[in-house]
Amino acid sequence: MALIAYREALNQALREEMRRDPDVFLMGEEVGAYQGAYKISQGLLEEFGEWRVRDVPIAELGFTGLGVGAAMVGLRPVIEFMTWSFALLAIDGIVNAAAKMRYMSGGQFKIPITFRGPSGAANQLAATHSQALEAWYAHVPGLKVVAPATARDAKGLLKTAIRDDDPVVFLEGEILYATKDEVPEDDEFLLPLGVAEVKRPGKDVTVVAHSRPLHTALRAAETLEREDGISVEVIDPRTLRPMDVDSILDSVRRTNRCVIVEEGWPVCGIGAQIVDDIQREAFDFLDAPIARVTGADAPQPYARNLEQLAFPQAEYVVRAVRQVCYRG
Amino acid sequence: MRRYHAFDPPEYVDWSPDPETMLEFSRAIERDPERARRIADLTAQRRLEIYAGLLRFRLHDIALKRWVRQGVISKAWLGTGEEATTIGPVHALERGGPNGDVVGPMIRNAGACHEMGMPVADMLRGYLATEDSPNRGRDLHVGGRRYGIVTPISMVGALAAVIAGYGLGFRKLGTKRLALTWVGDGATKAGEVHEAFNLAATQRLPVIFIIQNNQVALGTRLEEHHAADGFAELGRLYGATGAPFDGNNVLDAYAATHWAAEICRAGEGPVFLAAETFRMSGHATHDEKEARELFSEEEFASWGRRDPIGCYGAWLVNGRLNLETGAQCEPGAATGVNSAALEEVEARVTEEVESAAAEALAGRARMPRPESAVEGVYGTWPESGRQEKDRF
Repeated sequence: MALIAYREALNQALREEMRRDPDVFLMGEEVGAYQGAYKISQGLLEEFGEWRVRDVPIAELGFTGLGVGAAMVGLRPVIEFMTWSFALLAIDGIVNAAAKMRYMSGGQFKIPITFRGPSGAANQLAATHSQALEAWYAHVPGLKVVAPATARDAKGLLKTAIRDDDPVVFLEGEILYATKDEVPEDDEFLLPLGVAEVKRPGKDVTVVAHSRPLHTALRAAETLEREDGISVEVIDPRTLRPMDVDSILDSVRRTNRCVIVEEGWPVCGIGAQIVDDIQREAFDFLDAPIARVTGADAPQPYARNLEQLAFPQAEYVVRAVRQVCYRG
Repeated sequence: MRRYHAFDPPEYVDWSPDPETMLEFSRAIERDPERARRIADLTAQRRLEIYAGLLRFRLHDIALKRWVRQGVISKAWLGTGEEATTIGPVHALERGGPNGDVVGPMIRNAGACHEMGMPVADMLRGYLATEDSPNRGRDLHVGGRRYGIVTPISMVGALAAVIAGYGLGFRKLGTKRLALTWVGDGATKAGEVHEAFNLAATQRLPVIFIIQNNQVALGTRLEEHHAADGFAELGRLYGATGAPFDGNNVLDAYAATHWAAEICRAGEGPVFLAAETFRMSGHATHDEKEARELFSEEEFASWGRRDPIGCYGAWLVNGRLNLETGAQCEPGAATGVNSAALEEVEARVTEEVESAAAEALAGRARMPRPESAVEGVYGTWPESGRQEKDRF
């Protein structure tokens, strides 16, 4: 184990998988000579050369299609989007080409491709650069969607995503790149898709959160323990499709209360799907309506004070937990 | 060749070679010595295979049209009048199944499928959507991995990028294979196509893009969506090689593609070929009447005289090659023998397509199992993941 940053964990995952399998290659804007807009591909061009670390022009839809074609030849492309907000330009390629080719061809073609890049808000990047669009991708049959919150999870899940035979949408927390965690150095450190992890055990209320809001939830849990004596269990689905619903249900059946936190917008969000799963399968276990904490239902503002207000804050989670516990 | 009063465009019904059009046909293939040489190298057998390919495409389309009239299927997308733009290029490729060159056909290039080796019966099963169709009823845009046919993505322009990705893969793997796709004049206006062209050109990928200008994008005439003068300059604009060819002349299409393939295999791709042709039918079978109103009678008549199959057949009959013996002869000295050779091909292909249609139709009841609608969406799925398909 070594204490390394989320950014470094992703770099390790890429490097290890590229060493292991010559079919794996990275393609995206500024991934080569510039070593990545967020330096995730640091040193990779030097080690693997220009045919395995491909710089491409500003053409998200085009290089997404190229990646799909390369996957159909039998390669394992990793496509980097400078941010997931830019991937909006590529969504036709992700949804209509990558996600559907296996199905539409009657199983003739597999598409082992990983789409990755930073997601969510950073510091004052405003409305077009700060979006958490995981619900869009999780909606699509044919895509797997991963959103790790820690360096350890980022490494183990990215390695698994690259080895997976299906298209994987891998959303990195833009604000998490510098956060550190104990990460195994083992080349075979793989975390399975579709397995949630209890990040903090508790008995009074379940808080479900992925990506950056996981850390928000953990801070809120400390406050609630300290100030209210409420024992919060925090669970991170880590992959949003496939979703480990059973682990969430197990927790809710023990705590009988649930709050779901996400950075994305409220309407048709990831949390809405989890609420649906819980009400169908654990309705009788609930002691209170499920609460959700989401990004504000507006484009992300630029002004620092507004930006802070627009994203889930620990105090919002604290308030929501007190509400489902009928306190305060 | 036999004409089909019920299905052919009116210009084709009483078709006979027009002397001036035939002169143009000959001039087109003699203009460039490089192309003329490649055409001269075609043996009698290969010339007849190209003829068979054109006919197979036309008859496949007629079989579909018949099914539409009979109510077997609701509609079909045809290549009537544009067959040469598809068949000539495919015959210029290294067709090696899963290890050969790869094509990404638009639906209007269906003929590429049978010329790459897919049985016509399988193509027709694609329309019927039976369990045994190539895509198991998921889409009528059929592809076949083992024949080197990419399953078409029906978003126009999407294939340009995917095919460039094939080129990238071939280049990375160090093979001499190449990938070819057709891009309609309408699709050239999609941003993705520009991105794909530029990505292929900047990386020198082994890809042939054929701009298939059939003068119309669904119901929008070329001049309404394209202000420039044709597409012949496209290659140069992207810093790559390019050339036009006569889209109704299967030999010119073959020779241009044969040349382009050499450039790609030498690592100097991509190549942009610009084919001028004309859609003699509707966008699909449902709008044939509207399609006839888009262009004048004179335009239909002019393009009708240029029926790619009729012209090629007439050229073969009166050509300098005895198709039975393979020997050179004076132009017109082997018309009897050559006509007989073409008739023999036509009888064989007609029988092939009719049997294929009968065979496909006989299996019409074999529809996909209901539960298969939610199968095969993923390659793998973890046990811990909720199976949404269980709700189906």
